[in-house]
Amino acid sequence: MMGESESFVRGAGKYVDDITLPHMLHMAVARSPYARAKVLSVSGGMNRDDLKAPIGGFGEGGRRDVNPAILHPVFAQDTVNYVGQPVAAVFANDRYAAEDKLDEIDVEYDKLKPILTIEDALSGEGGPLHAGTTSNIIKQSWMGADFDDPASPIMLEDQFMIGRIVSNPLEPRGIIADYDGSTITVYISTQAVFSIKDGLCSTLGLDSSKVRVIQADTGGAFGVKSALYPEYVMAVCAALKYRKPVKWIESRSEHLAASQPGRGVRGTMKLFADTDGKVLAVRGEVTTDAGAFGGSSGTSSPFFVAMQLTGPYGIENARVLATSVMTNKPPQGPYRGAGRPEAAFFMERMMDLLADTLGKEVDEVRLINTTTHRFTSPLGLEIDASRPFFERAVVELQYREKSIRDAAGLGFFVLVPAVMPGESARIRVHNGTVDVWLGGNQHGQEHFTFVKRLLSEELAIPENLITLNNGDTAALKDGVGSWGSRSALVGGAAVIAAARELKSQVESRLGGYTAEGLLEDSFDAEVFDGHTRQLNSFGANLATISIDNYGMVKVKECAACYDVGRALSPNVVEGQIIGGSIQGIGQVLYESVVHDSEGRLLTKNLSDAGVPIAENTPEFFTTIVERPSSFVHRAKGLGEAPTIGVPIAVVRAIEQISGKRIRHTPVRPEELIEDSDA
Amino acid sequence: METMRTTFRVNGKDVELDVEPRRLLVSVLREELGLTGTHIGCDTTNCGACAVVVDGKAIKSCTMLAVQADGKEILTIEGLTKDGTLHHVQRAFLEKHGLQCGFCTPGMIVMSYWLLNQNQNWGEEEIKKRLSGNLCRCTGYRDIIACIRYAKELMRGERE
Repeated sequence: MMGESESFVRGAGKYVDDITLPHMLHMAVARSPYARAKVLSVSGGMNRDDLKAPIGGFGEGGRRDVNPAILHPVFAQDTVNYVGQPVAAVFANDRYAAEDKLDEIDVEYDKLKPILTIEDALSGEGGPLHAGTTSNIIKQSWMGADFDDPASPIMLEDQFMIGRIVSNPLEPRGIIADYDGSTITVYISTQAVFSIKDGLCSTLGLDSSKVRVIQADTGGAFGVKSALYPEYVMAVCAALKYRKPVKWIESRSEHLAASQPGRGVRGTMKLFADTDGKVLAVRGEVTTDAGAFGGSSGTSSPFFVAMQLTGPYGIENARVLATSVMTNKPPQGPYRGAGRPEAAFFMERMMDLLADTLGKEVDEVRLINTTTHRFTSPLGLEIDASRPFFERAVVELQYREKSIRDAAGLGFFVLVPAVMPGESARIRVHNGTVDVWLGGNQHGQEHFTFVKRLLSEELAIPENLITLNNGDTAALKDGVGSWGSRSALVGGAAVIAAARELKSQVESRLGGYTAEGLLEDSFDAEVFDGHTRQLNSFGANLATISIDNYGMVKVKECAACYDVGRALSPNVVEGQIIGGSIQGIGQVLYESVVHDSEGRLLTKNLSDAGVPIAENTPEFFTTIVERPSSFVHRAKGLGEAPTIGVPIAVVRAIEQISGKRIRHTPVRPEELIEDSDA
Repeated sequence: METMRTTFRVNGKDVELDVEPRRLLVSVLREELGLTGTHIGCDTTNCGACAVVVDGKAIKSCTMLAVQADGKEILTIEGLTKDGTLHHVQRAFLEKHGLQCGFCTPGMIVMSYWLLNQNQNWGEEEIKKRLSGNLCRCTGYRDIIACIRYAKELMRGERE
């Protein structure tokens, strides 16, 4: 049973690797040592001879409307396209023995020169990665109506690059597939049981009534656990073939090499403004390094970034070229923020440049571009009046004082939660207890806290009777997933909708609603609470830093002011802000994915990947603004806010102290040393 | 594969096993003794999710062979709870929100328990430094540090 945190402090959680079934086999995966090569032959284990199926885009941001020739095959077919790409799988009674059996796999490769950067992918040199295609562009199109460049006195241009980051939840990915001769039951660490189920059925042509996906306790995800991965399909195939349960637990090395990293987005900005700092128009290019295959969120990423590019500002003209390209690296996926931090970084870096160019304060230039009314941008972003929030945030964060005293950095942003298409919820009352299931599955965000609070309010029942169960496709007809700052927002609204359905059942059976009437009988209500409009909110961050003689940056103070709507669980809100903030700091100072010139991963353990440690924790200050939303429970989104706002505040602070313009993350110490020419 | 007879004491119980010499202590604890509270978060001794106490010293059980534990006394997260009652450190993590997803939690609690047994006078920076071998991806560590402080108060309260 997830989430009742007491089981976790006892060490009694049931994560997928804690589950053992009788006669279970363990799977180990043979992976490509080359970033790009022809596969001349494969022998041993389960391999391309056993399964030709490719994986479409399932999970957060996944797209299925791409050329099938560029989809990720479960097993490498004629080519391999990133180091770590699965080539074959072996099975044994124990994990050590399965690893031993990898020696039985024999693969003959013909190595090719890899394409590793956005620039190389766009140049066309090296040819297309996949047969049957003519370029390495997955999707490309313009967004926003064209306009004549304004005859403005100020025109600023710059280019930015947000490096890739691996999600690195402390629990790696994992699955158990079990086939009883009729039904396939999958236990998995995931954000979205329905994405996994739909993906397995579609990839293997399985009847959906014969597949059940159950979420094990899930030890963090941050985006990386919503997609369907090749290893999941292999485990299910093996369970069908051997008629035994099959377990695969990802090693950290596999996670770093072959899960879907986030970010990897380049932005080119051209900003037209008048001498007061009012931005008249923006032109941009957003290009995502989607990795070796289409269909993952890397395909849709540049369009989502581009849509948000005007941020919390009332910019009347904007036009952006959005492009996703393929390189010989693992497919890109969502990482906390998933396009939101990139958009904010590109615009906020330009706002700072504009302020510096005009010799104005950064808050002054931002203020003049805020709106005093609801505004829909030329790129389709809907925002409320941003001025009242910004004015308050500058005061709450004490920006002016801290700017003078400590050269603080400031960032302002809009959070665009993944509201659409809504979410499902089911409440079942039986024997005086209340069981709840959500379409989106908690993996550390403590959804049980908002579920208990909302239901105890709506149904007038004590919280201790309520249990939020792990995700289970047998318990719900459908569902979406937990990502994009959506769970308390749309999951919470769905819980209330289901509670109201339950109340009307009680009313029609008993002639009126009472909590006693509810608890004395059996009731069951399931809803899909649909949403079709954006529900965005504002946030601002401030950071102060110091830099030592070796270029090492220490974040001293990290302050947040966010409008979260009604804060359903204040200590969970606080926990999300602090935890997300250190991930934002990680993006700027520590975390990276580095490949050598052959495309081999160099950041091969958690320290090299730069996951922040306790000593990296600064002093935190949080201000929660509770401006109610239009939703039934008056909540707004939250989870990704810190990963959007913290990096832009920290890089500005670094720029202020170092005097060096910052155009990318991560920022390396060697770039900040006084006489460095980096 | 050949095995070695290995005897140790886990959470106060004597255990005797025939173990392949290559098996890590964490594998034996989890797979052969069913003590799944000790977690595996990496394969490079970076994360600390597998922390246990061996003969009074906190170690990462992914970096010790099970046969090396022969004759030793081991404490895992499961052994901190006595007759169903949470240890002060466990209680502190629960009450002061020291966890989110819970996966790093057993290692964090074992490490915190060991730190507090070493020295209860360490300041915040000293605690942070000593916790740098335990990774948490959810909390940003602030609440974990606060839990250790609170656990210290609970332990002092008990002594007084």
